[in-house]
Amino acid sequence: MHYDRHMSWLTDILSQSGDALIARFATWGRTLRFGMVTLAGIFSPALYNSATRTVVQKQIYFTAWQILFGFGLFAALFSLILVRIASTAAQKYGLGDFALELILRVLVIELLPLMTALFVALRSGAAINAEVALMNITNEIKALEGVGIDALRLEFLPRVIGGVVSVLALTALASLCALLIAYLDLYGLQAYSLADFSRVVGQVFTPLLLFGLWLKCMLFGLAVTVIPIAAGLDSPHKLFFAPIAVLSGMVRLFFVLMLIEVGSLTITYL
Amino acid sequence: MADDAERQAWLAAKPDAVLISAELPLRANLSVLENIALVPQYRSNASARTANERAWALLERLDHESCAHLRDPDLSFEQRFVAKLLRAVIAKPSIIVIERPGLLLPDTPYPRFLAETLAKLDKEINTLWIVDYTWHALLYPPT
Repeated sequence: MHYDRHMSWLTDILSQSGDALIARFATWGRTLRFGMVTLAGIFSPALYNSATRTVVQKQIYFTAWQILFGFGLFAALFSLILVRIASTAAQKYGLGDFALELILRVLVIELLPLMTALFVALRSGAAINAEVALMNITNEIKALEGVGIDALRLEFLPRVIGGVVSVLALTALASLCALLIAYLDLYGLQAYSLADFSRVVGQVFTPLLLFGLWLKCMLFGLAVTVIPIAAGLDSPHKLFFAPIAVLSGMVRLFFVLMLIEVGSLTITYL
Repeated sequence: MADDAERQAWLAAKPDAVLISAELPLRANLSVLENIALVPQYRSNASARTANERAWALLERLDHESCAHLRDPDLSFEQRFVAKLLRAVIAKPSIIVIERPGLLLPDTPYPRFLAETLAKLDKEINTLWIVDYTWHALLYPPT
């Protein structure tokens, strides 16, 4: 009798944990599946029409253009502080010749892409997550399908394209700012050291590393749009689930961004 | 329809019909004009200008140009209904179904309003059905 009661308690615990684990895996599975569908859809010529182009333009406008000045200013300040820290520390330990390489490897290749992805995730990823969750809950997706409009083609894929383009563009802008600030900080306002500067930049940015950096930024761009959309689509049709959908989407997004960054570091340095 | 189950079964049997229902909202981040123009833009790759002109012409025909630039939360029941109706009409489906108009137009004497509105769109609509509960039958003229 006692044995049965204990066993039933244990079985319940194991079943509940198992169900929770399966549900978690299923969520990741749906996110991955949506990512695959997205990748396939992006390369389909059928995606592009007058309506989807408008959504892509709007997404780029809200994600990149609208924040360009503020983001540029923040990236410049952030770069200035880190360049000063790196150059001062390098000179202090007699490694002044390696200061530029250190700045390029730490700031331009690692920190700025991650910072840009986090910035876009907080600004646009959260907004996309909330919007898609509400679209799902209020039946807007079903209403669009009712008049022959595929929400995936009209609303989701253009957002992914806009997000990826925005992350790439903002990372490029931040990196250019950092390179300019690094040059001015290390060599001063003169053009005679451009050759030395270019040589170090050329040595650091090998074609393979550039490809890796581009791939990382692409993955960041995909993550900051695909995960919030998938989380929004995953929310049950109840209004009170909207904040939960945003919360879980943002946590998943943070985890994936860190995973991409750790993966990139591992491939580069191990 | 005698009850909700019968209504749902009837609607499920008409997958090709474009439904105008209180449960199928407009796209919240678009104005009325954009909601209507979206259909030709997406389905026929019409330019934004052409699609907007077509949507505007339809709104003019129903004397509802004033709501063209409003979004869903700012619309009256009548305006919201007109926007949903025109979004369906511009898609040129073979069948349009207006589902439970009492829910769409709760503060309007809707049988008369529907008759007047639909008369203005006579040439644009192929077939139109109004689905309502049997206890509302008295509201409609005998067919």
